[in-house]
Amino acid sequence: MLEARNLRKSFGELVATDDITLEFGKDEGELVFIVGPNGAGKTTFINLLTGFLSPDEGEIVLDGEDITGMSADSRVDAGIARSFQVVKVFEEMTVRENLRTVVLTEQGKTWSLFSMADGHEDVETKVEELLARFRLEDAADTIAEELPHGDRKLLDVAMSFGLDPEYLLLDEPTSGVSTREKEYVIETIVEVGRAEGVTTVTIEHDMDIVTEYADRVVALHQGAVHGVGPPTMLETDDELRRLLLGVGDDE
Amino acid sequence: MPRRTDRDGTPAYRFLGVEVTRREAVFLLVGVVVLFIVPDLTTVSDSLQLSVIHQGLLFGFAAVGLNLLLRHTKLTSFGHAAFFGTGAYATAVLARYAGVQSVGLLLLGAIAAATVMAAIIGVLSLRHTGLYFALLTLAFGQLLYAIALGQSALGGSDGLPIRPGPANQPLLFGTAFSPDVYQVLTYYLTVVVILIGLFVMYRITQSPFRNALDAIGQERTRARFIGLPVRRYVWVAFVISGIYGGVAGGLFAVVRQYIRPEETLFFLRSGDILFMAILGGFRTLVGPLLGGVVLVFLQDVGQDVTQYYDFLTGVILLILVYGFPRGIVGSLQSGGIVNTRLGELRREPSVLSTWGQTAVETTERKLAESMTSLRIILFGAD
Repeated sequence: MLEARNLRKSFGELVATDDITLEFGKDEGELVFIVGPNGAGKTTFINLLTGFLSPDEGEIVLDGEDITGMSADSRVDAGIARSFQVVKVFEEMTVRENLRTVVLTEQGKTWSLFSMADGHEDVETKVEELLARFRLEDAADTIAEELPHGDRKLLDVAMSFGLDPEYLLLDEPTSGVSTREKEYVIETIVEVGRAEGVTTVTIEHDMDIVTEYADRVVALHQGAVHGVGPPTMLETDDELRRLLLGVGDDE
Repeated sequence: MPRRTDRDGTPAYRFLGVEVTRREAVFLLVGVVVLFIVPDLTTVSDSLQLSVIHQGLLFGFAAVGLNLLLRHTKLTSFGHAAFFGTGAYATAVLARYAGVQSVGLLLLGAIAAATVMAAIIGVLSLRHTGLYFALLTLAFGQLLYAIALGQSALGGSDGLPIRPGPANQPLLFGTAFSPDVYQVLTYYLTVVVILIGLFVMYRITQSPFRNALDAIGQERTRARFIGLPVRRYVWVAFVISGIYGGVAGGLFAVVRQYIRPEETLFFLRSGDILFMAILGGFRTLVGPLLGGVVLVFLQDVGQDVTQYYDFLTGVILLILVYGFPRGIVGSLQSGGIVNTRLGELRREPSVLSTWGQTAVETTERKLAESMTSLRIILFGAD
């Protein structure tokens, strides 16, 4: 279980995270969606959980162990992976090389100075699996830079899954993706996430997607938890609806 | 034994993990042969001097090491002469104060000293990236230069001789040779070291470690979030690249038998090493080595021809950046600009006039752009 206990983070006057206490993965493999208007502190919250930022106060606890001071790369080893709102892939590598790099790292093989990067059979098998899972076979030898946006997003997510995480935190995996491709991206995430039993925490602005796929919804507002509940909360909580719609949910 | 494999439809050969197509094998063989017959070639022509080519290869070897950082982690070190100099001075100190005579032991000392130095400078400068990293490496390099200059034990600006023992020179295989033979033998030693160094570097650049470095160079944040302890990896790469510099510097000292701070530690040497990597093609393995030979050769010839030989270097740099950003080897490779252009010319000779036109148009456009920039700078508005 991944827990946030009384997390606080401010940037100068702005309180980005205001005493958030939440738990993820009580039910293994649950799909949690984080919603909230712009500036609600959604990304900051993920940044705190993954070690991109450190909190001013509070603890982050993984399976009973305090990991608040743990470095970002050690958290990945501990099973917490993330993606970024803006695609961050290794632009000059092909899709396959991107995934290979991730799998080599995950298997602790990157300290090998004299083996062939493409010579580890178990790694290659895993890479092929990922390519197939995320339907990227056709693009396998394309340089990441040259991929269409939807595929870039998929690659980004595939890289996170390639780390074999127990917890996956996705920051708007469908942002900038065309409406048609959106379904496809999110469906792939849900499908793979369920198959692997990964607890997925996703920031999402598209309420249709949230309603359709969420096991649980966390609503943030001004850095604090506005409410936690089933996706029906989006229909029943009038204040939440006003908050979300007031600022616009079309991102 | 070499094993036949297949690379994108072209037959290739694989040996000790090195995979080459037939074409590449020919180049490789020619390259090795040329390296070995240089001492004979230099007796044929007066304009070719063994010592110049030797020096070019040694600095080029340091550039091969630097290139590990430049090409993969995308870090520009402006202080690589520090390791070249550390290697050279370690050799000199061992010879003078410890009476070490064996070339092998002297080189081991150079490697050890450069490793320690790179480890320390690496820890201190790799906290930063980009400009600040470049400035820090530059600063540490200058610090060492100042120390060498100021310490009388290190010979100050006069430098130090490397002439241990009664033979008055370092010993190869426990034997003292006449100066001529010594020059040729140390040259062959350099060639062997270079071939081993290139092989090791080739293997490193095929390894998972390279993937990690590339990841760090291309998207540092993501690299951290796939679980790479970024600074540790970059530090190891920094130390490896420093070792190459140290080996080169140690050999330089053994060959020259005399070292001065300006030749080895001065910051312009760091600039040279960086320039060599770019000149030869920093996206290639052997480019920096070739860049070293070409640059040292040009500087040497330039010195004979004109007082303003630095001008020559400047002009070459300009031509390189504007016309051949991939460097000598990069431009000659398949897919490089020279190959592509030659191919076009062979297919359709009239393409020449198009090129001429494009060149004129580009020049006109660039001139217009420059004028606009100048107006903006002078008058604050267009």
